[in-house]
Amino acid sequence: MAVAEQTPPAVDRIRPATAPPRTGWRRHWHLYAAISPFYLLFLAFGLIPVGFSLYLSLHRWDGLGSMEWAGLTQYQYLFTDVDFWQSIGNTLIIWALATFPMIFLAMVTAVMLNSAVRFRNAYRFAYFLPNVTSVVAIAIVFGSVFSTNFGLVNALLQAVGLDQVAWLNTPWGIKVAIATLMTWQWTGYNAIIFLAGLQTIPGDLYEAARIDGAGPVQTFFRITLPLLRPTLLFVLVVSTVTGLQSFSEPQVLLQTASNESTFSGGPDHAGRTMVLYFFQQTFDNNDFGYGAAVAWGIFLVVVLFSLINWRLVQRRGEQ
Amino acid sequence: MRLSRRGLLRAGLAGTAATALGGLASGCAVPTGSTGRNMVLWYWSGGLSDTVVKNAKARYGGSVDLDAIQIGGYYRSKLITTLAGRAHIPDIAGLRGEDMASYLPNADQFVDLRTLGAEKLRSRYLDWKWQQAVAPDGSLVGLPIDVGPVVHYYQPAVYEKAGLPHEPADVSRELDTWDKFFTAGERLKKRLPGTYILTDVVSVFEMSIGQGTSRFVDEDRRFIGDGPHVRACWDRAVEAKRRGIVSDIVSGTPDSISATEKGTLPSQLNASWAAGDLKLAYPKTEGHWRVADCPGGPSNVGGSFLAITKACREPERAFEIISWMLDSRNQAQGFVDAGLFPSTPASYAMPKLREPDPFFGGQITMDVFGPAAEKIPVAFNSPYDIALGQPIRDEIKNVGVLGKDPAKAWEDAMDSCRRIAKHLGVAF
Repeated sequence: MAVAEQTPPAVDRIRPATAPPRTGWRRHWHLYAAISPFYLLFLAFGLIPVGFSLYLSLHRWDGLGSMEWAGLTQYQYLFTDVDFWQSIGNTLIIWALATFPMIFLAMVTAVMLNSAVRFRNAYRFAYFLPNVTSVVAIAIVFGSVFSTNFGLVNALLQAVGLDQVAWLNTPWGIKVAIATLMTWQWTGYNAIIFLAGLQTIPGDLYEAARIDGAGPVQTFFRITLPLLRPTLLFVLVVSTVTGLQSFSEPQVLLQTASNESTFSGGPDHAGRTMVLYFFQQTFDNNDFGYGAAVAWGIFLVVVLFSLINWRLVQRRGEQ
Repeated sequence: MRLSRRGLLRAGLAGTAATALGGLASGCAVPTGSTGRNMVLWYWSGGLSDTVVKNAKARYGGSVDLDAIQIGGYYRSKLITTLAGRAHIPDIAGLRGEDMASYLPNADQFVDLRTLGAEKLRSRYLDWKWQQAVAPDGSLVGLPIDVGPVVHYYQPAVYEKAGLPHEPADVSRELDTWDKFFTAGERLKKRLPGTYILTDVVSVFEMSIGQGTSRFVDEDRRFIGDGPHVRACWDRAVEAKRRGIVSDIVSGTPDSISATEKGTLPSQLNASWAAGDLKLAYPKTEGHWRVADCPGGPSNVGGSFLAITKACREPERAFEIISWMLDSRNQAQGFVDAGLFPSTPASYAMPKLREPDPFFGGQITMDVFGPAAEKIPVAFNSPYDIALGQPIRDEIKNVGVLGKDPAKAWEDAMDSCRRIAKHLGVAF
């Protein structure tokens, strides 16, 4: 409610002195009313469900019957659950495989878009397009691209004389396929963000560098990159938060025969990310209490990695 | 009164606040079930025959407005959300067969159909399917919509080329056991290199479990997945892998579609409803398929129910509607419209179900499906079955796909089950 508390003093100044002095919320009720829709919606669809999931994680519940108090046993099991730890590992590997190439490609794309090319807006539009495409549709297409005998990727490998890889049937192949999908989907979006960052860098810095005889590579590492740091931080944090919550990508990509669980993540659970594991526990096993505990486990991991990201980028900034 | 800007703003804000408050107030008065003349029915796309739903609306239109809604997405979670939230609960709800085990412990959410005279309809339905809707307390939760008898779909031209039996009656007779089926698989591979009788090992394991009378957890909440009945199914799947008759193709991918079209994956062990999927996925192969009995005996995959919720204000009328919608004549219509295989044996003899199917080369498929549906074994399906069967399924998949050592895989599966059983409070 920080916003609500900061608003009244600003209003005092514009209120005519003749108004009868009233105290507390009654004096400013219409201002509170004006900002209330957000808070009411947030309360109903944000805070209450979050609070309820915390409550739920202390119980056993099959979703329909009566809840049974479980204390901290769900969390106790969570910390010893090798399947959950494996899902954290999977998520991080997929995240790293997706994020670092993605940031590199996005940066390159942004620099290219920033230079004077024709049809710049058309390129921007084209690069942004993957981001607004449905993940389910993308995953179905990527399923074909990575299929063993008729996939595009294997066709390319064979064209350069390499062997076929059973991408969706080997633990590493699955991770690479999911990461490639995520890279493809997010590169354009982040390129647009980087582009916005690039355009805030004053042109006279580049001019000065050119006069001093700096080449394009030097200019990039000495001017562009340092001044792009806030943008880089933003991109990293957003990629961390979305990457650590990947769900639809593995779910649709690894969906097989209809009488199998769609949440098991392929052979050796190689594609079972944290959120996929959460879904399996909650909606396959009807273990809503444990599902809620897993959700809080995911929350802790996301917070931890956001902090790490923040510290890393911040540190470098101080030097 | 002169309208000042401030006055307008104030009026606007007051209006917003009033709307918000009004929304909250009406939020407290959400009806538990349907309102007015409505009788709300929830099902999923393809879950009921469109013709039957339309006829039911017309037939009962004099007394109620039957409001049949197709719910998209994850059906079960949407249904239990309304049940747990006690708001807008449908009067009649479809329950999927695979979710049934998780509804039964909460039978108090539904009207016990015995109290509405369901017992006298019992002889209409397959007994094993009826028993799947009986809760531990003896109450009857739903009436069966359909069943999913498992059969052996195959391409006779490929079998013939490999010197295997290829007429449906011969295939049913000569490949009646798993062992004979595996031997045929070896012959198929030898005569036509690159051709596999099985896409993956998981189907062998799954169908074998379905052919038995016990699964992974028993009535007393004890884990029995380490028992000889599961071990036999496991060993059978491992055997299929060992004999090299399993492809390394992932089912449902473009690879499996093209291999099936080319005839290098000429057979499938799957439920009756898979016939519809075959027709949809391989329209070019019309006439190239036949149906025979599944090796090892009949089993079932899927098949749903219609239940009446406790929120229904007119249970008698609702029961009248569902018992009409699910009589043998309408179930026959369901098969014609939506491929829903009837749970009422009387339907099997009806002319429209005995028509030759051009996709299966003019075979009368009911001759295979019907007897299979009547002989399906009854097995107790615990609400913990999914959670404790999954580790074993996952490990057999690892054996099949990654070539993991079967002994190690079984050990890992049992370790996982022990851990999960303890967590769920199931005795190991």
